[in-house]
Amino acid sequence: MKILFLFSLLFIGQAFYAQNASQLVKAIRLKLEKVNDYSVDIHIKAQVPMIKIDEVDAKMYFKKPNRIKVESKGIAILPKQGMAELNYFLSDEKAYTCAMNGNKMLNNVNTAVVSVIPLGDQSDIILVKLWIDPKKELIMKSQVTTKSNGTLDVTYYYGDQAKYGLPYKMVFTIDVKNFKLPKSVAADLHQNKKSPSNTSQKGTIIISMRNYIVNKGVGSSHFKN
Amino acid sequence: MLWKNTYNELIKISAKPRSYIGIAALTLLIAIILFAMKADGSKYISFVTSSFEQTLSFNGNILNGNLIAFIILQMLIVHIPLLVALVTGDLLSGEAAMGTLRMLLTKPISRKQVVFSKLIAAAVYTLILVLWLGFLAFIVGRWVFGTGDLIVLNSDGLVILKNADVLWRYGLAFLVAFLALMTISTLSLAFSAFANNSIGPIVSTMAVIILFTIIGALDVSVFDHVKPWLFTTHMASWRSLFNNPVPWSDIKESVWILLAHNVLFVTIAVYKFQKKDITS
Repeated sequence: MKILFLFSLLFIGQAFYAQNASQLVKAIRLKLEKVNDYSVDIHIKAQVPMIKIDEVDAKMYFKKPNRIKVESKGIAILPKQGMAELNYFLSDEKAYTCAMNGNKMLNNVNTAVVSVIPLGDQSDIILVKLWIDPKKELIMKSQVTTKSNGTLDVTYYYGDQAKYGLPYKMVFTIDVKNFKLPKSVAADLHQNKKSPSNTSQKGTIIISMRNYIVNKGVGSSHFKN
Repeated sequence: MLWKNTYNELIKISAKPRSYIGIAALTLLIAIILFAMKADGSKYISFVTSSFEQTLSFNGNILNGNLIAFIILQMLIVHIPLLVALVTGDLLSGEAAMGTLRMLLTKPISRKQVVFSKLIAAAVYTLILVLWLGFLAFIVGRWVFGTGDLIVLNSDGLVILKNADVLWRYGLAFLVAFLALMTISTLSLAFSAFANNSIGPIVSTMAVIILFTIIGALDVSVFDHVKPWLFTTHMASWRSLFNNPVPWSDIKESVWILLAHNVLFVTIAVYKFQKKDITS
């Protein structure tokens, strides 16, 4: 009888946790759904091993469901994923299930750690881990593991657009261990003199946003190649 | 007398059909490269960026005139020495072969001045080739492909330079490339002082370039002490101007070594020509 009681408690606890996780993700989804489109000025600072690039200013446009376009005068480096994919993935609540993984302090915020697992195998996403501020219903950090691009960590910082779930700063931590240089092209004079300046396997791309214009309409012309 | 003879040398160079082979070959080669890049340049770019593009996306006009100029300079700097040697290797030996050297030396001009006038004429020809290369690669390249940030692949990764930060680098790069090609000119001039036919100095110059390039490319420790002193090692030093930050000390070292080679080859040419028996 005692064992049955303990199992029941465990089952109820699991169900409560799962429900709690789903509710948190649902709250975030509803907040993100308020955004139909936006344009924003972005400042990109890339610190990626094997790539030397100055800071770049650009303009970013977003339109539902997942159209995103970055316009810059020069060359701008952005993470291949992570700008809109997560929001698009979370928008279909039937496509995933949620599980609570406890709590963790993150930037002085007691976050709820939620795993979001896709239900089908068609999605490129294998697993999403979210660190959610339960009070403000904001994603503080995400870790997205995909079939094609490995794992991408993103930390979010919020300002006056927090009501839409839009951050003023995103810090992407990317895995660069697969970066390879074509030797025949890369050969240069001083290659034997210097060892690679950075042997780190991780790089960061910091994107700062300002001048958000939300739900004022963004023309389709911005998304033409 | 030196400048008058230099003027005569320039007339002689301009009168020879072979002098135009270099300019024609450059024009044709660059036209082919521009056409190929216009038709399928994106594949060439993806060859460089493919491993990065699994994780990152590159936004903006990557295939622009600045990159095209860099690709052209990188591709042709290996082949231009042949075009230079074709003319400069003939300057002294060609006259010996044609029998005009004896007549030239009957003028009131020292043998040293003869060599220097030919050296100045060779420098002018080399400069014209470099300027023509610069015009086709940089000006025409920008006209066809537009401008934009320059993405360069070095041995330690990608360097992305702002469009506004590129012009002075190209200016200095063409200067260093000119100095590198002048080393070929002086080498072929030195060989030319030894020979009595046109082919010998041209072939010898190319043989030395090929030999030194192979030694430089061999990853064998026995050559490690030799490589830094080969002029072919420093012919590509223009590339370092596209690093960020620019390794100025390395570039200065390369410039000094190239200058030293120039002085050495000119000294050999003057010494040999002054001792030479003019029998033809």
